[in-house]
Amino acid sequence: MPASEKPKTFTFISRSAPYGSDRPRLCLDAALATAVFEQTVNYLFMDDGVFQLLANQNADGISSKTLGNALETLELYGIDQVMVLRDSLASRHLSSGDLLFPVQLLENAELRELIESSDFVINL
Amino acid sequence: MSCLHTINKAPSAQLLESCCNCLQKGDAVLFIEDGIYHVLESSLLSSIPAGVALFSLREDIAARGLSDKCDPMVEIVGYRNFVELCVEHDKIVSWF
Repeated sequence: MPASEKPKTFTFISRSAPYGSDRPRLCLDAALATAVFEQTVNYLFMDDGVFQLLANQNADGISSKTLGNALETLELYGIDQVMVLRDSLASRHLSSGDLLFPVQLLENAELRELIESSDFVINL
Repeated sequence: MSCLHTINKAPSAQLLESCCNCLQKGDAVLFIEDGIYHVLESSLLSSIPAGVALFSLREDIAARGLSDKCDPMVEIVGYRNFVELCVEHDKIVSWF
């Protein structure tokens, strides 16, 4: 990328529960790849995607990799804008205390602003 | 005639609502895969008719980090019990 070209802002929205499909992992892989290219990355969990963040996951019994561990790599790749839609947590009887690590809680109005301010939105 | 109903999608797929219309006394509902997330939905579980036993699969619960959050109305069972449930009931209906 030429030095003059400014990084773009990518917002990834992960909306699926872990283990039931490969969508959560695909979304994560795409975000990590984007971060490697020094773009600005926002990562938002909403709808059933908030289930990915539950603490104490152990997928040994279903012959899968525990997704929770993989999510901790977000920070290693410099993705520190990790957000959760507050509504999605609340409607699933969960709170931020149930999650793997501290995240920023987003209101619905802020979600609209987030999309507005992004150059690209990847919704998986 | 009794029936085992399995549900393998999260409550957002609203399969339990459809399943509930078909339930009769003596039937059982088993939550597997992403169906496990029903164990968080006490009010939804309360809408299931009396006389219907509720089960969830231990391995799927553990994978999703819900071991401590399962509603007491739902009995946690292993794969061996899964097989027993299949054999004990006359029919199996999968909701997916």
